[in-house]
Amino acid sequence: MHSWNDQAPIYQQLADRLATQLLDGDPPEGEALPSVRTLASQYLINPLTVSRALQALVDEGLVESRRGLGMYVRDGARIRLLHTERQQFLQEEWPRLREKLRRLGLKPQDLNWEDA
Amino acid sequence: MKTLIEASHLSLNYGRKAALQDLSFTIPAGRVVGLLGHNGAGKTTLMKTLVGLKRAEGELRVLGLDPHADRAQLLTSLCYIPDVAVLPRWAKVSELIRLMTGLQPAFSADRARQLLKRTSVTENDKVKHLSKGMVTQLHLALIAAIDAKLMILDEPTLGLDVMSRKSFYEMLIDEWCDGERSVLISTHQVEEVETLLSDVLMLDEGKLVLNISLAEMDERFVALSHDPDAAELVAANHPLLRYRVQGRPAALFDGVPPDAVAHLGQRVRPSLVDLFMALTRKPERQATEA
Repeated sequence: MHSWNDQAPIYQQLADRLATQLLDGDPPEGEALPSVRTLASQYLINPLTVSRALQALVDEGLVESRRGLGMYVRDGARIRLLHTERQQFLQEEWPRLREKLRRLGLKPQDLNWEDA
Repeated sequence: MKTLIEASHLSLNYGRKAALQDLSFTIPAGRVVGLLGHNGAGKTTLMKTLVGLKRAEGELRVLGLDPHADRAQLLTSLCYIPDVAVLPRWAKVSELIRLMTGLQPAFSADRARQLLKRTSVTENDKVKHLSKGMVTQLHLALIAAIDAKLMILDEPTLGLDVMSRKSFYEMLIDEWCDGERSVLISTHQVEEVETLLSDVLMLDEGKLVLNISLAEMDERFVALSHDPDAAELVAANHPLLRYRVQGRPAALFDGVPPDAVAHLGQRVRPSLVDLFMALTRKPERQATEA
């Protein structure tokens, strides 16, 4: 079974997973998302919970519902997502990361910025 | 028909013991409802009442019918696997399909064969040669091939290993849940079914202690993970339950906790297991553990 954490409601965690995939271009802008039933089956989640996750993506302006066809990735979704993810990183993750780097005494020159 | 089950003030006594106490709830179309409770909480009694095998006081409509008065008609229009369900060991799968075709007017043999293709069961297999997990899958395939709006499953995955349980739930979600049909499922594997459910009915000693959709549950209950230092203050604000999340103390509140406490911790997701623990533990046991 899929593992979900205790940090956020299941629908939110599914919305986050789908958003991460959108950021990687899966599916690309203008293309359809898998149907509610497909996602329900893939993640073994109740279809109503899947619908809530998709609605959350609609509310964030990332996907749109096309009547009778399903959910489609909106133009500009990646840029919008990249912007919010960057904001979130800078506000929430970076302070923690910086704190850890300071504790460990690591300087910018100690960090390898290129792929290994 | 949008409401499949409508129950109000259901009560049933076994001698002097109250098995069901004043239960009122509805089950609409398109839901996966978990019926949770300890052994003896009244789950099986409630399910038997819903299918007309027991008679309770109060008002009950299942698929628009009175389960007791219209039992014959009701039994042809819903799917039910009782907790004691067995398939005849001597039978071949093809014979069971023929039997169902004769017994149940809404049964589709083609649909049953199509559902069996998901499993490793073939029509020539005999029940006695199948594993427990395969028998349960066969049973689900046979009843999911009935064209009905409501399925009632009494602990269908009891005694199955984790792989068999997963296949069972996969078939249920893929092949039954189409947004119109509903299923009421009782189980002890609270953690496993949580994500499958849309709604929860929780029984404790015959009483309905929780009747809520998972969406509402996320809104109504708040869990806080906090520092050990804050424990006394948190406890003084009457949480439903105190437990641990990843080694840190946590407390579960019904509703938004008071401001004095809210800032002491970080909000985490209250899981169904935590709620189950909080709402169905016996008071004397809670007292001894506190």
